[in-house]
Amino acid sequence: MKSQNPDEIMRQFVSGELEINCLACHNTHPGQDQAEYAAQIEKQNFRWAATASCEFAAVKGAAAKQGDTYDPLMSDAISVEYQKSAFGYRDKVLFHISKDIPPKRCYFCHSNFDINPGHKQEWMQNQDVHLNSGLRCVDCHRNGIEHKTIRGYEGEPVTNQALSNAYTCRGCHLGDGAASEIIGGLGAPRPEHPGIPEIHFEKLSCTACHSGVMPAKTTYRTKTARAHGLGTHDADKSPEALPHIVYPVFAQASDGKITPYKLVWPSFWATLDGQNVEPIEIRQVRRIAGKILQSADSEETGGWTEITEKQIAKVLKAFDEENSIEGKAVYITGGSLYQIVDSKLTETENHPVAKPNMWPIAHDVRPAEQALGNSYCEECHSTDSPFVFGNIVVDSPVAKQRNKTKIMVEFQDQSPLYMRLFAMSFVFRPWLKIVALLSCAAIAAVLAYYGLKAIGCIIDFVTEKVNPNK
Amino acid sequence: MFRYITIAGLVLVIAIIATHRIVASPRKPKGKQSYNPLRALVYLLTLLLLPQRLGFFGRIRKLLYLLALLCFIILAVTGFYPALVLNQRLSGYLLMIHVTAGGVFAACLALLALMWADLCRFDKFDLKWITGLFCHTEEYQAKNTHTRLFPKLIFWLILIAALPLILSVVLSMFPMFGTEWQILSAGIHRYSALAFAVLAVLHIYMLAILSRE
Repeated sequence: MKSQNPDEIMRQFVSGELEINCLACHNTHPGQDQAEYAAQIEKQNFRWAATASCEFAAVKGAAAKQGDTYDPLMSDAISVEYQKSAFGYRDKVLFHISKDIPPKRCYFCHSNFDINPGHKQEWMQNQDVHLNSGLRCVDCHRNGIEHKTIRGYEGEPVTNQALSNAYTCRGCHLGDGAASEIIGGLGAPRPEHPGIPEIHFEKLSCTACHSGVMPAKTTYRTKTARAHGLGTHDADKSPEALPHIVYPVFAQASDGKITPYKLVWPSFWATLDGQNVEPIEIRQVRRIAGKILQSADSEETGGWTEITEKQIAKVLKAFDEENSIEGKAVYITGGSLYQIVDSKLTETENHPVAKPNMWPIAHDVRPAEQALGNSYCEECHSTDSPFVFGNIVVDSPVAKQRNKTKIMVEFQDQSPLYMRLFAMSFVFRPWLKIVALLSCAAIAAVLAYYGLKAIGCIIDFVTEKVNPNK
Repeated sequence: MFRYITIAGLVLVIAIIATHRIVASPRKPKGKQSYNPLRALVYLLTLLLLPQRLGFFGRIRKLLYLLALLCFIILAVTGFYPALVLNQRLSGYLLMIHVTAGGVFAACLALLALMWADLCRFDKFDLKWITGLFCHTEEYQAKNTHTRLFPKLIFWLILIAALPLILSVVLSMFPMFGTEWQILSAGIHRYSALAFAVLAVLHIYMLAILSRE
């Protein structure tokens, strides 16, 4: 990666450029160590990171500790040591390079760690149904030589649209939009969805029922490999480690379908210009707000340091007095926007700029028997259904906002009243079925009884005509 | 497609009624009030408010009929309005009203079927009228000018149409049939509802004529 910053360009003569590490995915040897790769990046050992991550080399030294005049060809302050046994005849080494990427390679960047009381240990969990069936991640998340791996959602803007259409849920399982030579290629079973009205497929994504953990009354918290550096040497293993990602949140996607999401409530100091916010640079926040927030009780859990509204007011006033920022200083947290109006701190709840950041989830995929709504309709259509009326934890360092929640339906573009009434109507659904079936039975009995009588009448009439004397 | 077929069906039923009004109405002498089916319908509905000469069973039957009529209007409006006007699938509050009225209507229809079936059974006079129609026997036609064959026929057709109408939606609520059946059953429900609505309108029209007679 070429930097545009002159200082960084100079520094790259020492560290090297941070290039794509092919081994990260393609080295199938169990000794491939991506955590070591991350450690090397922290040491600014960009040039050596790929080597250090492989199974037969170790790198000593750190570019970060070298001066700008360091020349790697002239000094051994950073050195590579190879495992001698890895080299065989004529000093050749066998690389375990493969285009069949095993799922374990993907997991380093794409895995979760759920934080909830009912969370089962890894060896007690079922993994994605596709992996259990013998597929690998790359069987669906395919790419061409350009390495633009498809994510697999419908309408994904990619270069190879036919490929993308074929490897969505619908493409594989229903053949929708897939080329005929691809349909059924992976042996995907065609779903029957017995008893599920067609409207569900218009209003819900496949992942809504089949992906992620089963929803509970309140959202769970999870840690992800990308956000929390899971698997790296210095990852904060505390359950309170920031950012606090909550899931599953069932919200309406841009295609109008309700989809499960992961969600983060943004918390940051910013400047407000009309309806636009610009985050204030972290160094500036540290300089101005650091002293005021220092007095806050520090938690050693890696989580939030609780702050009060008084402190927010002080910080915002300090920003305004400083005059080093353009625009009005505001604090955004937990879906609210704090600002000083007429020397008083005001909170605007549900401000558009304080909306949570959400991204859809698709894994782990659950089989039909474990799908949401498979057991009974009331899993979703009831007044206490987590899918519609589940609580979404609002995350914020502000003491006042602790224990604040929002309801799932607020994110579904549906009227809560309507959804509640609709859910209540399912109480009477069994009665409706009984009444309708009994009515049908009665009507059918009447038709059968009088139908038979009518046939008798016709027979009498015909007999009378044929043989009037009888 | 359903939208156009529905519009065609409703136009057809209006055309049938209009043609019948023009062809079958007896000419009234000047100054005498002409026969108006709307007036007859209002008369039929307001019978509930007039002193009743019916027994308990008759009153129940009439109440059931009026309740079924009310449910039919609700079902027709909530069912056809999204399809014809909005060109949308039935959903939201309209769906809730439709399903609620549907349950009541099914029960009323079953009870009315039990109560009215004997009155609406075909007899030998109807059969003679039909044979007379085909054989052009003047004697029969002269005797059976005021046959009730058509209201009876429509009653039975309504019952026949009610079965796929109700069963298509009730069976789809059970976890027995997959997506293809769901799509098929939705189609059956729509088209049998259209057939039912056409028959019901004709039934009400004929009942209005009979009440006048």
